[in-house]
Amino acid sequence: MKCPIETQENAELLLSYSARRLNPESTAILEAHMELCPACQEFRDGQRALWEALDQWEARPVSADFDRRLYRRIEEQDRMGWWARTFGSMRPVFLRPALPLAAMACLVLVAGFIIDEPRQTVVPTAEVPQVVREVEQVERTLEDLEMLRQFNLVAPVSNSDLSRS
Amino acid sequence: MVAVAALEYDAELMLRVKEGDGASFGLLLEKYRLPVIHFLYRMVQDHGISEELGQEVFLRVYRSRATYEPTAKFTTWLFRIATHLALNWLRDGKNEKGQERLDDDFGQTASRDVPDRRPTVEHSLVHQAKLEEVRRAVELLPEKQRAAVLMHKYEEMEYSQIAAVLNCSESAIKSLLFRAYESLRVRLAHMA
Repeated sequence: MKCPIETQENAELLLSYSARRLNPESTAILEAHMELCPACQEFRDGQRALWEALDQWEARPVSADFDRRLYRRIEEQDRMGWWARTFGSMRPVFLRPALPLAAMACLVLVAGFIIDEPRQTVVPTAEVPQVVREVEQVERTLEDLEMLRQFNLVAPVSNSDLSRS
Repeated sequence: MVAVAALEYDAELMLRVKEGDGASFGLLLEKYRLPVIHFLYRMVQDHGISEELGQEVFLRVYRSRATYEPTAKFTTWLFRIATHLALNWLRDGKNEKGQERLDDDFGQTASRDVPDRRPTVEHSLVHQAKLEEVRRAVELLPEKQRAAVLMHKYEEMEYSQIAAVLNCSESAIKSLLFRAYESLRVRLAHMA
């Protein structure tokens, strides 16, 4: 067989062998190779030692009330309906430390805008349409007067024509 | 054959949950509570956070019951959720983890053992120091390598499953694992 250390595709054999997950046939072939290959022997010994070191790391037991807490959250979500389903999924988002800071920064910005606003010169809103209306009325009156003037110029001719007929 | 039967059983349980059978959810919780929380604990190395994330994993499983389709192994789906949550937590909260976390188990055990003055105290301290080195070595791995090693070593998952969880090709996972174990061997060589 090709040396697993030298050929990447056979490297998994060494990992599986070290994890004791290699089938008996491949194990026999690999062990025969190892008898002749110091590099593979070194890998095997190192990996065995590592495996034993990792075995020492036992996880702590789970809290006794884990299930009770979980079922309580499930019940809460079922009770709250769509609101919890929509926003409950954001719970891990709120665990993130950057978000409260970002929210705080947004609040400060918004507060800054609100505080700054009265300092700006504000035009009384009621006066603006009044002025506009007056200008429009004057314009309309002038247009009407112009139309009447033109009408008076044309009207005498029309009246004489009518009396003749 | 055992693995296939287990797959079918878990998927079947989840399909029953989809139909409204709460007892089946209880069976899945009973079966996978420890593996999921232990995986999360070794990923984030904080007991409280691992339980909080574990709650979120099972809550998401329950919430997703209506849309669940057994297209992959149940454990692949489950660990994909767990890995996603752990990686997000690590990326967002890496710098926020307190220094006390590194010492919590060690400190508590030492303070419990010293007053007894039993012959095992020294042995216990040495064991705790070694354990701390193992934890530190795993913590120093890049996040994806760490997740792959934990799934391979402690959850005994197949390469194809780890690849599906981490969204990589199988060959990428093999070389990722090879590199990860190489780093660990170098860091923990003095313990041999």
